[in-house]
Amino acid sequence: MTTSFNASSSLAPGTWIEGKWHHRRYLVERLLGRGANGAVYLVRRGRGTELAALKIGYDAVDLQSEINVLTTLATHQNKSDRRMRNSASRPFLLDVDDYKLGQMDMQFYVMRYVEGVTLHQYMEKNGPEWMGLIGYRLLQKLVELHEAGYVFGDLKPENIMVSSYGQVELVDYGGVSRIGRSVKQFTERYDRGYWNAGSRAADPGYDLFAFAVLWLHVMDGARLRRQGPDQLPQVRSANDLINLAHTHIRLKSYESWFKRAISGQFASSHEACSEWKQAAIRSGSKISSPPIRRHTPGWLKGIFVASIILLGSTLYIILQSN
Amino acid sequence: MKQILLITDGCSNVGVSPIVAAAHAREEGITVNVVGVVDQGAIGELGAAEIAQIAKAGGGMDRIVQPHQLSQTIQMMTRKTVVQTIHQVVERELRQILHTDATHIEDLPPQQRSEVVKVMDELTETSELQVALLIDASASMKPKLQAVEEAIRDLMLSLQARQGKSEIAVFHFPGRASDETVMDLDWTQDLSGVGSLFRRMQMRGATPTGPAIYKVIEFIQYDRMVGSDPGFRNQSETDGMLGDYVV
Repeated sequence: MTTSFNASSSLAPGTWIEGKWHHRRYLVERLLGRGANGAVYLVRRGRGTELAALKIGYDAVDLQSEINVLTTLATHQNKSDRRMRNSASRPFLLDVDDYKLGQMDMQFYVMRYVEGVTLHQYMEKNGPEWMGLIGYRLLQKLVELHEAGYVFGDLKPENIMVSSYGQVELVDYGGVSRIGRSVKQFTERYDRGYWNAGSRAADPGYDLFAFAVLWLHVMDGARLRRQGPDQLPQVRSANDLINLAHTHIRLKSYESWFKRAISGQFASSHEACSEWKQAAIRSGSKISSPPIRRHTPGWLKGIFVASIILLGSTLYIILQSN
Repeated sequence: MKQILLITDGCSNVGVSPIVAAAHAREEGITVNVVGVVDQGAIGELGAAEIAQIAKAGGGMDRIVQPHQLSQTIQMMTRKTVVQTIHQVVERELRQILHTDATHIEDLPPQQRSEVVKVMDELTETSELQVALLIDASASMKPKLQAVEEAIRDLMLSLQARQGKSEIAVFHFPGRASDETVMDLDWTQDLSGVGSLFRRMQMRGATPTGPAIYKVIEFIQYDRMVGSDPGFRNQSETDGMLGDYVV
């Protein structure tokens, strides 16, 4: 294998990257993260202030394969944008080129910089009430991908960036696989095969399964862990997952959705998306939905206890004096 | 495309050098990948060096992992080896097909590179693939066999999702005689009906890795094992019978 870029090495902030074919220049700001196929840097384009994300591949073929997927998706998106008159989404893929560093040729592509935090961080900060809307937007992204003929494959919280009022973007398209083929990359915890719930063939149901486990993880990671790695592989089953959704108070409104996603009963991701939306609206309109446990400060608890004691002793004194 | 995947936990100590055997496999067009599996502690300097050497001679990859990482590791190795094999074949043909001076895919201009990689992705998915798993069953491997079996089933699951025909066969060594390599499973595309893989394994101390690799080369080339354990045919029959009730 021609590894053109060492996985552990990284470019220092302030490094200029110039494309060999298109001669565009990028200034490295910092390392954003690493995917399976390459390292992603935050860069400034040319002399301007516009930020972008630049991915340098570990291997030319793997990265090119990812670029091919992104190119196909961009063509598809342009078509559907024209159809839906949706000009809100800017192009994702901005440049593809090679960068010569000493004797080495490194392949890179430049994409739109997606601001935000990972799904876990967002949910932790903003609370479980956001699940319905974020899930809905995420499903819309998946529907779009499925309609273009691909599945995302490696769906996991780290690959989902959330910003402002629950705006969602998928990042790291390295695992994107064409429908009908095998899933290129996956993470065991969210993998349909790992849970003995089906094949590793790329079909829309694969993403929906991962989507369901993803939310079980976000909402109730501790219980999910008890079902997964701590179990023998033969007894790991989809039913355990369905049961998790069934017994979780916040997932009550979504119970049948989870059951269908985990057992692969949705006819299309479109159907799954609209059912999720209905469940989210139903869940949100219920007053009886469980209140969020807001953290009660210690001093407040102390004052409460003190006031009870005070009340008790006052009553005692009054009763005694009578 | 043919691969041998050796899963071991230490050094060979009997017979021909496994490095020679792996180099011979490569000569026959078979890539040899090696996974060293460790429970606690390290695999030993000597063992690690041998593992790296076998993989290098066999044109494949080597990894040393904990039992729980085994599934992911062998799935990744098998896939990467397929990509790599196609990579080599394509690069050999590059000049002829594209009439360029480029000898590496990296040298091609972006548009051509994109087209070549499309073809490679297609081949990766649709080419026929045979993976022979060769399991070191020396005494120290015993506690890891559960993880090995799980990983093999997981690999089969991944291969079944491919569009091209994908088969695996499973062998372990040593058998009853210390120079014997036992076939646990003949070429198959489906493990769902197959019961426990290593029921009749007898753990021994010796580790004849080299001779075992030669046996598997022979099997891949001629689809049979010369001078092999006469019991192995019986074993596949028993497998069929047990398959009905063992999940």
